[in-house]
Amino acid sequence: MVTEEEIKKVAKLMRIDIDDYIEYVDKVHAMINYFDILDSAGVEDEEISMPEIPISNLREDKHIPFDQKLIEKLNHYKGTYVRAPKMSS
Amino acid sequence: MNLKISALEYVQEVKTGNISAEDFVAKTIERIQNVDDKLNAFLTVNETSVDQAREIDKKIKSGYKVGDCFGMPISIKDNICIKDSKTTCASKMLENYISPYDATVISKLKQQDAIFVGKVNMDEFAMGLTTEFSAYGPSKNPWNNDYVPGGSSGGSAVSVSAFECVASLGSDTGGSVRNPASFCSTVGYKPTYGLISRYGLISYANSIEQIGPLTRTVKDTAFMLNMIAGLDSNDNTTIDNKNEDYLSGIESGIEGKKIGIIKEMIGEGIDPKILSATKNAISKLENLGAICEEISLDMVKYSVAAYYTITATEAGSNLARFDNLRYGYDFPLEGYEFNSYISKARCNFGPEVTRRLIIGGFVPSTGHAGKYFSKALKVKMKLTKEIDKIFKKFDLLVAPTVPILPFKLGEKIDDPVSLFLVDINTVTANLTGKPSISVPFANSNGLPIGIQLMADSLNDKLLLQAGYALEQTVSLPEVPL
Repeated sequence: MVTEEEIKKVAKLMRIDIDDYIEYVDKVHAMINYFDILDSAGVEDEEISMPEIPISNLREDKHIPFDQKLIEKLNHYKGTYVRAPKMSS
Repeated sequence: MNLKISALEYVQEVKTGNISAEDFVAKTIERIQNVDDKLNAFLTVNETSVDQAREIDKKIKSGYKVGDCFGMPISIKDNICIKDSKTTCASKMLENYISPYDATVISKLKQQDAIFVGKVNMDEFAMGLTTEFSAYGPSKNPWNNDYVPGGSSGGSAVSVSAFECVASLGSDTGGSVRNPASFCSTVGYKPTYGLISRYGLISYANSIEQIGPLTRTVKDTAFMLNMIAGLDSNDNTTIDNKNEDYLSGIESGIEGKKIGIIKEMIGEGIDPKILSATKNAISKLENLGAICEEISLDMVKYSVAAYYTITATEAGSNLARFDNLRYGYDFPLEGYEFNSYISKARCNFGPEVTRRLIIGGFVPSTGHAGKYFSKALKVKMKLTKEIDKIFKKFDLLVAPTVPILPFKLGEKIDDPVSLFLVDINTVTANLTGKPSISVPFANSNGLPIGIQLMADSLNDKLLLQAGYALEQTVSLPEVPL
């Protein structure tokens, strides 16, 4: 069983402010509890394999200049840098 | 001017000079203006559509080579990028985002002289199955405006069903093309994973999502697939389809084909009317010469939990970029510390996206990954093994697309777990990468019912042949608009 404190902690790590307890914590709680059904799937011995793409199948790693200055499409930039607020020490 | 024609009929009519692209597109825009206040399918309408159509007419008259679409009006789900157009993902977060490039599917359709009449509504970032989670209000089902049109590609299905365009592109992560297609009585197609490039589709759960067409007929879907499928160097998950022609041989029939009826998809919780329609569809497939037999896919009962666990995890990563620094709605930097600034920016996600992001942080986290994320991946592996084994004996699988009828707006919005179960029949194709189609099949008290067929990977051509054969067995009423 997932606790509400755990949910709130993860929300903070995901940089999400929870301002509506019922809207978020209660519903997320119900959703995660539904996932407990996975415990009865009997897949403990199953191997997880991921598809592998050989490097030869990847496109050539070369710089292709874009026809516009993409950084100018960002909300906050200075020269070639993205502007961001200062981090607290 | 008859707007109620298929894509192939439109092409034929323009090609032979019976209608002009300009007249048809102008009437389509007029139709959008007349009906969309009620339906809310469109988020933006392309004001230059008629001018573009006029240019295509000029090309035809001058004898220039014209692309296969001949100015066909198409709507595009608002998570697919069109250069210099708004792409909002139906989110306040991207309210003013203008894409600097075209998605590969858009480039391909532009080369074929398609006209994009507008961007259509969806659940925010494609998370939902009713279009109620759009930040711009829900779309309405054209068959009954009190009912949901399905989702997340609800705007796509509504626009095709209500004759606001000839065809549409949506995206299908867990049934997001097939579910609204079923609810609105259009054809909806989820191709084999990798058949259509995802370059320019704003990612939600990239390991399983695919772009797919919604059309009036199965032949139109094959026509669209011919134009948008195939390798793309910008998406290394794409596969070489050897320029397969999906239209040729589509009338071949299904005589002698072995079709498995997935018993877990017609069991507990199914609406009796859906069950009856499914039995009718099976009987029609048998009349066409197919051999139908009940089969079991044991992992289906865990598939929805596995699907939401995997997609939420991928969403947690994919949506991390929406921080108002790289992407996101604008507010000034001054007066904020870095973390509090990003947290404030991310408050602009809607409730369903926020919930899934929290889940996406939780299920793969230390101490919980073994219980949730790893098990979900194992269910995905086992389900794929089960279905691969079945496809050694069977050519196709059949089930209702959705086990329940379209429901009223607001009816399930506060119960996320009951909404989960609406996906039970569609997520299997996504988790296993198999192609799947929803074909309009019946109508119960004015509400549409779709039947889903599935084939083995890269057997898209066979799947379309079967979909076409099934489609020919029914005659359905016209949308009451």
